[in-house]
Amino acid sequence: MSELIGADDLALLATGFEAAMAEAPGPGEADQALCDLGWAELLEAAPTQGAATAFSALGKSNSAASLLDDVVANALGTAVSPDTCVVFPSPHQATAPAQRRGDTVMIDGLVSARVHRADTAVLAVGSGDGTEAATVDAALLHLSVAEGVDPGHAYRKVSGEIAANALTPLATGGTWEAAVAAARSALAHQLIGGARWMLVEARQHAIDRVQFGRAVASFQAIRHKLAESLVLIEGAESVAEACLHDPDPMLAALAKSLAGQAALTTATHAQQVLAGIGFTAEHQFHRWMKRTLVIDTLFGSARSLPTEIGYHLLECGTAPRLIQL
Amino acid sequence: MDTATFRRELEAWLDANTEELTPPYEGAGTMDEQLAHYSHVKRALYDAGFGRYGWPESVNGLGGSPLLRAIVGEEINLRGLADPSPWTMIEVLGPTVIDFARPEIAASLVPPFIRGDEMWCQGFSEPDAGSDLASISCRAAKTDGGWVVSGQKIWTSFIQYAQRCVLLVRTGEPGSAHRGITALLVDVDSPGITFSPIETMHGRHDFAEVYYDEVFVPSDRLIGEENGGWQVAMDILPYERSTTFWHRGALLHRRCSDLVAQVAALGDRSDTAAKALGQAFQSLVAFRSRSRDTQHRLAGGQQLGVETSIDKILITSAELELFEAARDLLGGVVEFDDDLDAAMWRTDYLYSKAAPIYGGTAEIQRNIVARRLLDLGPDS
Repeated sequence: MSELIGADDLALLATGFEAAMAEAPGPGEADQALCDLGWAELLEAAPTQGAATAFSALGKSNSAASLLDDVVANALGTAVSPDTCVVFPSPHQATAPAQRRGDTVMIDGLVSARVHRADTAVLAVGSGDGTEAATVDAALLHLSVAEGVDPGHAYRKVSGEIAANALTPLATGGTWEAAVAAARSALAHQLIGGARWMLVEARQHAIDRVQFGRAVASFQAIRHKLAESLVLIEGAESVAEACLHDPDPMLAALAKSLAGQAALTTATHAQQVLAGIGFTAEHQFHRWMKRTLVIDTLFGSARSLPTEIGYHLLECGTAPRLIQL
Repeated sequence: MDTATFRRELEAWLDANTEELTPPYEGAGTMDEQLAHYSHVKRALYDAGFGRYGWPESVNGLGGSPLLRAIVGEEINLRGLADPSPWTMIEVLGPTVIDFARPEIAASLVPPFIRGDEMWCQGFSEPDAGSDLASISCRAAKTDGGWVVSGQKIWTSFIQYAQRCVLLVRTGEPGSAHRGITALLVDVDSPGITFSPIETMHGRHDFAEVYYDEVFVPSDRLIGEENGGWQVAMDILPYERSTTFWHRGALLHRRCSDLVAQVAALGDRSDTAAKALGQAFQSLVAFRSRSRDTQHRLAGGQQLGVETSIDKILITSAELELFEAARDLLGGVVEFDDDLDAAMWRTDYLYSKAAPIYGGTAEIQRNIVARRLLDLGPDS
């Protein structure tokens, strides 16, 4: 576990990150701006806490910065660099995005926009012997052209096969399991940051919008939707914060699952409270809602994770006692 | 004493005294058996010292953080050594009575409560004042040397075992709402108090209707200020949602473990089973994590308030999901089976239906979150 950074320094970093993300027009500029602020050094010094701060800002700002590449690369033991991208698992999955079959490696996963600028891609490859991380020339990756629901974020599918001898095994490094946990913990903070933004928008709309001669915020049906969103966000955030003190992969899975559930529910409730305007492209809401859909699918979703967690419980034959006083 | 050392010593003591502390009855036991065993465990903890930590020296405690009380209840519940329900009363009422009652009254009456020699109860709700607590009408009129109380209360848990009752009474004008309420500490054996137990749907007499017919209460039994009872009630509610919930969360955790073990033993490795277990467990972890933060805020000297409504909503959801999962995955255990294990699942399943009702309904909690935490303004 890393050294924890003081609250004042973190608050300062968070403000700097949010400002940089808000100003940078695209993924490349955002990545560069964060690097200038010391993102790589922060991640190496305090991986979990640094990622939590940056991803929380990412969620709130809805920036297209490709920080997930850095989190996973760092957890696998490679140097953090804007020239290195990572191949992520397929939607709803957390298994290695590549499988080795003899001399061939089959790839089926996702990449961020960074793939266009990167020289090197980090690829986790599963085989009968487990999962090994390797690097590969990024130009060898065959990209599908689908833009998807959230072109701004520019996660896109990558599939195809490459020769096994194109891989350079990573000499030192963390396990794939640790990388998955790091990604999940970071993404949980992003989902929660986004959920908080959607809740703030919906709350303000409920207060401003008058129907039947009164603010719609005075109707219990509206109030309870917003209250339920806040409760889910607070519960999920507490577990995501607990990941800062405990690297347990199970805890990270729980944090991602709860954050996905909180963000998806908040998106549904916020859209209903925003009503017509929330269905338009004129309101910014749809950008956060679509980003939520995308982030939820990365490294296991609110749909797939409870099942994964349940199988883990059944294997243990008991419910592990996480979160100590 | 630091919490890690305390927990280690407590665990060692519990390991050494397991036989002595294990309930002598099978299954859930009758209420008489449960209450007798609760007293037994409380006394043993008190005499060994563990039960005195976290309570101030003014009431014979050994001082230290309230976290120590949370740890004691957690260990007891994880090991299934006592039912958490009777235990809630000391955790809910103790801290507020110590802070608001006259010091000499607290010093003489609270120690036997902490030691498990006494049970206390809480006289808040009335037939016409449930969620709308500020509308209570049970009246206290000033008389020589005290008050005379007349009226009716309902849902008073454990009164048949109790020596004292923390009672909310109307001392202001009938329409004075929360401004005209006073809290009194009443002896349950006072002349004029009668009660009739109410049977719950899970076959127990957890609570009762209580009638107060010109009951005299001496003036030194005032808790807080005259007409300051609302403040006392508001001080109590967050305690109800902190230490007590941590204890109950530990019980739910043990039952979640039981469920996982039983489903695994049945050989059910379906996605449906895994998902239901995973969902229930993750809701429990969300509650536990939130409650952990709350325990630390309490231990850090912060005043707990309306934000504990979030803890209440989280534990309620977790409890409902857990026992629905048990009903779904243990094939008819709630509906048909009669062995001891089934009886426990049935009791827990039925009792979980009270979770969104007691201690402020699920709807009231959402109203509080909307009004006080989201600042949505007044409702219609």
